[in-house]
Amino acid sequence: MSTAVDTWLSPASAPPVVPWSLDVLRGADPVLGFAVVLLLAVVLGEVLHRRLNLPRMVGHMVTGALASPLAFRLLERTDLDPWKPLIDLAIGVLVFELGSRIRPRWLLDNPWLALTCVLEGAFAGICVTLVLYMMGLPVVSATLAGAVAMSTSPVITLGLVHEIRPRGQVAERLLITTAMNCVLTMVAIKAWRVLSVADAPTWSDELFHAGVGAVSVVSGSLLLGGAAGWLLAKLSEAIRGAAAAPVLQIAVVILAAMLASQWKLSPLLALLVAGMTARHKIGHMLTVEPHLGSAGAALSVMLFISLGMLFTVDGVITLWPWALGLVFARFAGKAFAVALLARPSGLSTRQAFAMIVALQPMSSLAVLLTADTLGWSAELPGIESRVLQSLLIATTLMHIVGPVLAQWALKSLADECPHANVKEP
Amino acid sequence: MLLAAFTPSEPLTLGVELELQIVSNHDFDLSPQANDLLRFLEKHPGAWDVKPEITRSMIEVSSSVQREYAPLRAELSDLREKLSQAARRLNIGIAGGGTHAYQHWSDQQIFPTERFEYLNDLYGYLAKQFTVFGQHVHVGCEDGDKALWLLHALSRYVPHFIALSASSPFVQGVDTGFDSARLNSVFAFPLSGRAPFVHSWEEFGQYFGKMASTGVVKSMKDFYWDIRPKPEFGTIELRVCDTPLTVDKAAALACYLQCLCSYLRNEQPFEPADDDYLVYTFNRFQACRFGLDGEIVDPKTKQRSKLRDDIVRTLAHIDEHALDLKALDANNLLRDSLFEGNDATWLRKQRARGLPLSAVVEGATARWMG
Repeated sequence: MSTAVDTWLSPASAPPVVPWSLDVLRGADPVLGFAVVLLLAVVLGEVLHRRLNLPRMVGHMVTGALASPLAFRLLERTDLDPWKPLIDLAIGVLVFELGSRIRPRWLLDNPWLALTCVLEGAFAGICVTLVLYMMGLPVVSATLAGAVAMSTSPVITLGLVHEIRPRGQVAERLLITTAMNCVLTMVAIKAWRVLSVADAPTWSDELFHAGVGAVSVVSGSLLLGGAAGWLLAKLSEAIRGAAAAPVLQIAVVILAAMLASQWKLSPLLALLVAGMTARHKIGHMLTVEPHLGSAGAALSVMLFISLGMLFTVDGVITLWPWALGLVFARFAGKAFAVALLARPSGLSTRQAFAMIVALQPMSSLAVLLTADTLGWSAELPGIESRVLQSLLIATTLMHIVGPVLAQWALKSLADECPHANVKEP
Repeated sequence: MLLAAFTPSEPLTLGVELELQIVSNHDFDLSPQANDLLRFLEKHPGAWDVKPEITRSMIEVSSSVQREYAPLRAELSDLREKLSQAARRLNIGIAGGGTHAYQHWSDQQIFPTERFEYLNDLYGYLAKQFTVFGQHVHVGCEDGDKALWLLHALSRYVPHFIALSASSPFVQGVDTGFDSARLNSVFAFPLSGRAPFVHSWEEFGQYFGKMASTGVVKSMKDFYWDIRPKPEFGTIELRVCDTPLTVDKAAALACYLQCLCSYLRNEQPFEPADDDYLVYTFNRFQACRFGLDGEIVDPKTKQRSKLRDDIVRTLAHIDEHALDLKALDANNLLRDSLFEGNDATWLRKQRARGLPLSAVVEGATARWMG
């Protein structure tokens, strides 16, 4: 007490403390710090949206990047750990919602679309693998980079759909293609793990175990997702009421994600299937609000801040040719498949171009696609560090540029946003 | 500006136009995908036609010139099949019904053609509110004078068509209490209602010339009358029907009109008079509001009766003509529907089961697409 009074009475004698200096902020409680960053993200997101017409998520991610070791180092990446369950939940909620938005039957009704979904991912993967291999990277690592590059970010896609509310062919195809290429990426990475053990001394045993493991993960995830969707349908029948619906959905999302994680299955696939099953079983009585309601919207902002905090440009001076090679090869692969099948699948040239551009946001590999769990701590086993860093740099680039490109594609190229030109009050 | 000459056509030939809803398979709200559908259908082999309508969530299909119920029904079924195939490939649904149950008019986008842009500029928000879906039936006439006579004679039966086809009870998410709320949207237009009572094509030409000289109209398309002549086709066009939920009913309604025209032309049961229109608005309102349960006042006898009973009596009068025109099946379909209820009743029954409106639209989509 006396020290405080002394300091009060003779401030000059105390060491110079600027209350909001970066050092003080860095020393603050990480949870408090993250809450402050959350506030700043909402403000920056809104400012960038109103001034520059950028998607709000760009402001959220930029705030995360500024707070991260990349810029002001207000938060360390490990500071995200206390928030991890919530951020995992945010991803889970978005993936479940994506599942509930798509209608798998469409792939049977339009086989050319099904082929587009498979080929745009496959060609992107093949192009990335070939380009990185030709640029001198080992084939095993180049293949994994190719597998990762197949996918479009479901988080960015759905975030953008919530924000600009597009209605039309490109938006619908973007959603189903994103879901499909996420699943394909997961399968490709499983396959890569099978193939990557091909050089092991006990080759046949390893291959067999890896193969069995991959099949059991996929089928187990399908079963778990189906069961979760069925459970939600049954519970929704018993407990009617708009207020209970989001709570039930969140509970089922957590349950399915936790079980998938514990049983070493794929939460991504399980939650996608849970969403599809729930939609099929419940039909119109299933109301999946964007982000599962307002609390889910807060989770989404946290998720985008976290994605921003994972941005990296380490080694960009030396690795930029590979990162750019990856981005352009991925673009070329997706563009070729979509353009090739545009006419028979029912897209105009302009819509096909919009589709190609909208597919560009890359998925945050560390968050979602290479892991069996929703956690982002999973490593890519056996990948060369240069390839991993190039992937991270490419992902960083496409996280910033991707949403802007996708918004432009949906609003201006595809003309699917009737509210796009309405000035907000 | 002069009115075009009336092109003679074969009497009692038929043409059917249907305005249809394009809905998303996700939320069953209207979806602005007319262009996508048109692209798929641009090389269809049928004699029917498909074209855009005023907003991008609508599409209009029209039959070729037909003479009998069976071929008309077959053509409409073929049209429905092709349209449904294309829609499934685009993950959208096609539905009948006079209104979409919960679309919001301000979400609608005008289809980019010169005429639709002109209408949008002229009518403002009314143009977007005109996202309603009707069935128009053309009947061939040999000359303009006969066409005008038939037009006025048919005015007595306009409530029949409104009540039989009514399929628009829901607007903007609520039950309006009307069986056909669509016609309330049409009434908002300044040149809606009924055609002026003139007997000859020459007199009609003079009326058109006066209207054109005021600058209020530029072509016959600017009149939104319940029945209007279409001189370039050589037809009169009945425009009061909501698009039914099935093509079978659409074909049956067209053939009911054909039989009525045959009855009126051949038996001339009364001579149309201007005073017939004294009860026109009342009868029209009753049909829109109460459907088949509404009342109708006979303009000649001033007798008031139930619309359902009036239709039963009329069907009995025209059965002989239906036999000649091979349209008995069509009339029987309508006769059955008098007791089952019209499409508005069907839509309300779905809602009464506790289904959300999106499920009601999904049901309507399933009925139309088969």
